[in-house]
Amino acid sequence: MRRFAVLALIVCLGTFGAFGAGKFLRIAFDAADLKTLDPHLAAATMDRAVVDMVFNGLVRYKPGDISAPFEPDLATSWEVSEDGLTWTFHLRPGVYFHPFEGYPDGYELTSEDVVYSLQKAADPGRSAYAGEYTGMTFVAVDKYTVQVKLEKPLPPSLMLPKFADYAGGFIVSKKAVEALGDEGFRTHPVGTGPFMFKEYSPLEKVVLVANPRYFRGKPKLDGVIVYYMPSLSAREAALETGQVDIIEGPPEQPWVEKMRAKPGVVVDTFGPGECAVLHFNMSKPPFDKLLIREAVAYALDREELLYTVGPDIADPLCSPVPPLLPGGLTCDEVGPLRYDVDRAKAKELLAKAGYPDGFSIEVVISERAEYLIPMQNIQAQLAEIGIDVKLKVVDHSSMHTLIRQDVNPMVLYVAWRPNADVFLTRFYHSYSIVVTGKKPDTNFSHLGGVDADGDGVIETIDPLIEAARTELDSERQVALWKEACEDILTLVAAYPLYIKKFVYARNPKVDYGYELKSTLALYPQINELTDIAG
Amino acid sequence: MFAYAVRRILISIPILLIVLTIVFILVRVAPGDPARAILGDYASQEAVDALRKRMGLDKPLWEQYLEFLWGLARGDLGRSLISGVPVAKQVAYALPYTLELTFTGILIGVILGVPLGVYTALKRNRLPDYLGRTLSLAGLSFPSFYLGILLMLLFAVKLRLFPTMGGGTPGDPVDRLRHLFLPALTLGLIMTAYITRMSRSAMLNVLNEDYVRTARAKGLHEAGVVFRHALKNALIPIISVVGVYSVVLIGGSIMVEIVFSRPGLGKLMVGAMMQRDYIALQSIMVIYAGFVIVLNLLTDLSYGLVDPRVRYR
Amino acid sequence: MRPRKTRRIWKGGENTPDSSITPRQRILRTFLKNRTAVIGAVIAVCVAGVAIFSPLIAPYSPVRQNVRYRFQPPQGAHIFGTDFYGRDVFSRVIYGARISLLVGTSSVLLGMVLGTAMGMVAAYRGGRLETLIMRAVDVMMSFPDEVLGIMIMVALGSGLFNLILAIAILMAPRFARLAYGPTLALRERDYVDAARAVGCSDIRVLFRHILPNIFGEVLVMSTLWTATAIRLEANLSFLGLGVSPPTPTWGNMIRTGLDHLTDAWWVSVFPGAAILVTVLAFNMLGDGLRDIADPKLRT
Repeated sequence: MRRFAVLALIVCLGTFGAFGAGKFLRIAFDAADLKTLDPHLAAATMDRAVVDMVFNGLVRYKPGDISAPFEPDLATSWEVSEDGLTWTFHLRPGVYFHPFEGYPDGYELTSEDVVYSLQKAADPGRSAYAGEYTGMTFVAVDKYTVQVKLEKPLPPSLMLPKFADYAGGFIVSKKAVEALGDEGFRTHPVGTGPFMFKEYSPLEKVVLVANPRYFRGKPKLDGVIVYYMPSLSAREAALETGQVDIIEGPPEQPWVEKMRAKPGVVVDTFGPGECAVLHFNMSKPPFDKLLIREAVAYALDREELLYTVGPDIADPLCSPVPPLLPGGLTCDEVGPLRYDVDRAKAKELLAKAGYPDGFSIEVVISERAEYLIPMQNIQAQLAEIGIDVKLKVVDHSSMHTLIRQDVNPMVLYVAWRPNADVFLTRFYHSYSIVVTGKKPDTNFSHLGGVDADGDGVIETIDPLIEAARTELDSERQVALWKEACEDILTLVAAYPLYIKKFVYARNPKVDYGYELKSTLALYPQINELTDIAG
Repeated sequence: MFAYAVRRILISIPILLIVLTIVFILVRVAPGDPARAILGDYASQEAVDALRKRMGLDKPLWEQYLEFLWGLARGDLGRSLISGVPVAKQVAYALPYTLELTFTGILIGVILGVPLGVYTALKRNRLPDYLGRTLSLAGLSFPSFYLGILLMLLFAVKLRLFPTMGGGTPGDPVDRLRHLFLPALTLGLIMTAYITRMSRSAMLNVLNEDYVRTARAKGLHEAGVVFRHALKNALIPIISVVGVYSVVLIGGSIMVEIVFSRPGLGKLMVGAMMQRDYIALQSIMVIYAGFVIVLNLLTDLSYGLVDPRVRYR
Repeated sequence: MRPRKTRRIWKGGENTPDSSITPRQRILRTFLKNRTAVIGAVIAVCVAGVAIFSPLIAPYSPVRQNVRYRFQPPQGAHIFGTDFYGRDVFSRVIYGARISLLVGTSSVLLGMVLGTAMGMVAAYRGGRLETLIMRAVDVMMSFPDEVLGIMIMVALGSGLFNLILAIAILMAPRFARLAYGPTLALRERDYVDAARAVGCSDIRVLFRHILPNIFGEVLVMSTLWTATAIRLEANLSFLGLGVSPPTPTWGNMIRTGLDHLTDAWWVSVFPGAAILVTVLAFNMLGDGLRDIADPKLRT
């Protein structure tokens, strides 16, 4: 008995020692648990973070800066054929997958894995991003060469993001997926990235350890522990007491100010952020009238909204495509289409449209703060010109289901899309009109399906979007996108509000190893260069 | 007694079955889509539909219902729709936290409440009695989450004696206790209010009985009367109250888990609710219902332990 | 078996055989002598007054935002401070009384009508109907209020009416159990038999002969359960399952304040105090009424 106790003590100390000795970076996310670590399904911040550390793409965004040119990742080089229909990627030799059952040393990545992975990403039953890869075929030419064949040529600005370290572009191990099954892979990801999945404790954490064979070199950290801590105060306390090194913050101004004031805490805000846009349903009253949409646009005060969300974490957004992306417009470029607040004019327009006393609408909205907070401010602002917005608060997934059933007269949508084409196609192309479109998606305004300004003609920007999509000259492409943006604003199909950055707080000892400006990984990327001082 | 327990459990089965059916229906009446919850807003409708199919959500309801019952019959709680983790594993992780919270709460309630109740009964209509009655009335008027917030403000934020949140590191008993203290105190104080009241009135009833008067008349000293005769007979109603209010306490534990951000069944349930994780939600509900049924059974059985006159048939 | 408790029946002031005053006056006198009940009643009436006259009492609009004045600590112009949107917490607490009382009283009323009817019918008719109703009551009572409340609200969706309905559903089984026992006892009484013998319809017997006998107790308990209902409303609102914003309720005010507890305690603490006071008032009133109704239990 006694011997057993001593043994148990030694084992306990041993495991603690093992954790204590290594340099583990601990990061806490605002989530109760993970959802899925399958990179082709992962959508939530805490899942994308793990995926980002475990997997690579063929090419990659420069760490910390998405506006920089693409860098080689699993592919060392790539080229496109004369006709623009065949893209060839040359794989990096000597890249090994993480070990998993049956492969204690992993195995070398080959074109077979890449093709398998891309085919999985293109399969709507196994991927959330299948739409990105329609009409593409993937061919393994030899062990280190993969070809992608297209039906129509695509400019690099639209082609490469699909093969980068984001969403469907992450390359999974064929043998691991086959061995674990899609179900098993969801909680046991196997990739080639700087950190390897070690263990998962439900509702608590995921432990990742350094990949000693990482092709960019062994990571400086010994591992990363991802904690799931849905309570903000718990995360705060954990950071202050040194139990974790990085925490996800709420994108709220008071919190940023409070944390900045604390010694030993650094707050990072970075892009690209999420674009908050108010879409008006132009298919039914009251927003079928241009005058009313203009009235609402003039009634809204971006500055006040920005202050509500927080001037340190949000920038004004005046264009349907954010200025950070090619094809987007800055607020200065938008000019009068900003509809700067003018409530007297708004009331005048309302009266002209036949609603001098305003009207009442019911809007379904998510219970999540990122939706509920701005929406409550919008509600208060519109009350000033007599528009009574009744909110129906539902859970987040219910809102997403309901708005896609076209129940809302106006839809607040907060999201990031990787490029202007995706922004415009999914929100404003007639195919994407909710319920009635050819491929119903998130065109909540019905632009392209209705007469938006009462002149008897159906307005559409479909030709602009399609022309830009296949335009190989990037200058002309950008001009087409900008024109589309201006059309949307002229018709007030949507009113862009702000772009909200991500907020994290960290121990100043953490050094990311790169300059953090923007990342699609939604968290401050942790890679082989990341280190903790001391 | 064993036969009685078995029969009680058997009687509970139809109740449990109705509970299961209600839960199954309630959970599915709610709007929301777990497939959308997993894939996020970027996913196309096509991908969401495909996932729904893979998750078995497109099957007819009766088929899902039978699968659910069949799984339960085999002791399988299913896998979380969202993370794919077996619900049993999630529950196994969360349950100890909830159990330690509720049991400590009950314990605090009994330790503080019974003596207070007895004391106020003995001091009937005197100052300590008024004080005790007022406090216990206030105690049972406190929403558990509000009491939790006040205790947190005082002990964790102002005095910094205890952590504000979390459940403590597993494997570190001291840390676990530190994290347990405030939430358990919250529930314990509310429980104390209930138990004080009931112990007091149970004691008063007994003190009026003839045999107590006889005992007094016999010249037994007061302590003997109180403990040998009165308290013993007051125990049955007190135990039944502990049983009944433990159910209330379980409800309160949900709120306290949320306020203190403690892992636990309540937090698991609210999390599953937010994500429309049907499978997890219905299984957690089943566990709650089972919890209450077992608790009622235990209460009934404990009558026999304190009073040999109670027979189980 | 579980030791059976004999059911108490309303015995309005049996022990004061003073023939010079009417029974009604007698009850009133007993009531006024009960300090707990009087204090409870006074506070409850005050809260009701605040709810009815909130536009006159509240210095500011409860919904108008002024985000540049967010999280002002309690002082001169805003005695309870301001919240995240710069709204006056005092005004919101005042208006919050409306939802609390409305939900508390109407859900208990609805639950009372439904539950009492269920319990009386079950006891009176017996047979399968009895088994069905009382089993259903057992099932409902086998969940903690919060668990069942959350489930029902998730299924129904948020909103004022659904909130009232959900709490009424939680209250109904209590009333059913309350009405069941006495009805069972009364059914065997001679005068009920007599009424039936002279051809009174079942409904008439229930309404004219049984209901008046149990109504006192039902009324007393509904006061106590109003306290429970108000607390439940706060719980559900706190979980975000209540009335939609911007309508202030005490529960949702605490909820929004929770994330900023360390830097803006006033956003949560004042509405919480309002809940406490109101629930306490109804508990005191109910407690006192119970003492009056059943002097044997008088403590």
